[in-house]
Amino acid sequence: MTITIAAVEVHKRFGGVLALRDVSISVAEGQVVGLIGPNGSGKSTLLNVMAGVERPTAGRVVLDGKRVDGLPAHRIVERGVAKTHQIPRPFLGMTTEDNVTVAALYGSWKVRDAGAAREQARKVLNLIGLDGQADALAASLTVQTRKRLEFGRAIATGARILLLDEIFAGLSPDELREAIRLFTHVQEEIGFGALVVEHVMPAVLTISEHVVVIEEGRKIAAGTPSEVVRDPNVIEAYLGTEAARAAT
Amino acid sequence: MNFGRLLRSAPTLWGLAGFLVVLAVWGPWIPTFVLTLLINLLLFASLAYSMNFIAGLTGYVSFGHVVFMGTGAYAWGYVVGTFGWHPLAGIVAGAAVGLVLALGIGSVALRFRGVYFAIATLVTALAARNIILVIPALGDGQGIILNLGFEPLTWFYTIWVILGIQVGLTYWVTHGRIGYGLRAIKSDEDAAKALGVDAARLKLFVFAFSGLFAGAAGALNVWTLSGVFPEPAFDLLFSLQMLAMVIIGGMGTLLGPLLGAVAVYLPHNYFLTVAVGAEFIVIGILVTFFALVVPQGIVGALRRYVPTLRGIIE
Ligand SMILES: Nc1ncnc2c1ncn2[C@@H]1O[C@H](COP(=O)(O)OP(=O)(O)OP(=O)(O)O)[C@@H](O)[C@H]1O
Ligand SMILES: [Mg+2]
Repeated sequence: MTITIAAVEVHKRFGGVLALRDVSISVAEGQVVGLIGPNGSGKSTLLNVMAGVERPTAGRVVLDGKRVDGLPAHRIVERGVAKTHQIPRPFLGMTTEDNVTVAALYGSWKVRDAGAAREQARKVLNLIGLDGQADALAASLTVQTRKRLEFGRAIATGARILLLDEIFAGLSPDELREAIRLFTHVQEEIGFGALVVEHVMPAVLTISEHVVVIEEGRKIAAGTPSEVVRDPNVIEAYLGTEAARAAT
Repeated sequence: MNFGRLLRSAPTLWGLAGFLVVLAVWGPWIPTFVLTLLINLLLFASLAYSMNFIAGLTGYVSFGHVVFMGTGAYAWGYVVGTFGWHPLAGIVAGAAVGLVLALGIGSVALRFRGVYFAIATLVTALAARNIILVIPALGDGQGIILNLGFEPLTWFYTIWVILGIQVGLTYWVTHGRIGYGLRAIKSDEDAAKALGVDAARLKLFVFAFSGLFAGAAGALNVWTLSGVFPEPAFDLLFSLQMLAMVIIGGMGTLLGPLLGAVAVYLPHNYFLTVAVGAEFIVIGILVTFFALVVPQGIVGALRRYVPTLRGIIE
């Protein structure tokens, strides 16, 4: 049985800011969905609502047929959905391996034994190519490595659906190619579903089978990558009205 | 796990166990004067381990921790004075009241972070003292005076048992699954939750231990004084002393609370006969020094500057 997480007609208000207006999106296990939109369009907010970090002002989050909005974040992790932080938040005083071990111990795998969890952590580190830094303190890692650690921790929770917030940001073209190759490999290996938030267009377009575009909290387009890049609304949102007119 | 491996894997635990065994065997031959000093030192250590459970392991600084000592003391005085319970049963009552109170206070106060948590616990300590002042059954603010015998050896072994359990529990919660969860919470609580850690439950779990042992220690303290009085029982200086011991010894470590207890007890006891209150100057300087220069306390400093100790002390 595969699981699906869906945000249904979600609204989110922060004081005077309406960060999300009537957004619906769904991701199934095994499926990679891209979520793009300009700065401040509400991408991280949507992920936070789906991960139980924020409660929606209106609307629902449904996981595997059951409503989960209002559940605390750790309960959602328990049910197989894990989110990474846009700005990595590793446990700085712990080693890379210990960071991942926490996820293995408390995620949906429910490994109770610390030894077995460390074993799992090492497997995950191998998979994502961080085994060389297993014993390094997280505080000593570069931003890029910390992003990869975020990814590794989310995987190690045993999540069947990952909510990934800009894990490809800030990479050089070469690093990006390498990161995409790694992501695809790991995704095929494990078979998780992923909702991938990204600014980097090429990254989203290569890895996603379905893309959703939001602007100012509203969903303005959805479809396959090639449909989305030709959508006038999207061109306008990204390049301005002039370019949109020129393109059509 | 076989014995030899356990011994090698947990040298600090076995060192502490050895220290306690030596004390236990030596007990009957310890001169009474030294024995009373040791009882107080172990009492300080017990309070330090109690504080370590919450402040050391989660980073939640409990300024009102004396509330558990004070209510534990009054619980002891009440059941021993009014119902004629054996003082040892009174210790259990003190521990139970500390536990229940910690569960109650913790389930509300642990929702606040940082200074707000500290203030919330401080307020409960002040409130508890004022409530107890007006309860007729608890001496109407005059305290409860009992006339129990001078039994240093019983007190010694009682605090010995309490401390032994605390050391064992501290080892247990700093290792294995719970240890990982606590370190994650202390480092970044929201990130911990995002990996599935039930932070609220884990914090309440260690806070409950913290309250239980502070209640037991508070009860033993008034047994040695044969009476309970509101001002000393709820003296906020106890909270500060507990924090000082954990900061000096090393927050969240296994050996630190004992070392911190020695570092605080020595000046405390010395100035008791010379200039009461002056100990706070010494303790204050020590705390400031450690907080600024070696935030990991004595244990952290030893691990940092003495490489051979790195794999041994924790
Ligand atoms: N906790 C919060 N309190 C108040 N306003 C918030 C909060 N979180 C987000 N916002 C606001 O909601 C809007 C959407 O922010 P969000 O972080 O979701 O955008 P984003 O699409 O992830 O942007 P970026 O690409 O820069 O990461 C912004 O206007 C932001 O200022
Ligand atoms: Mg964002």
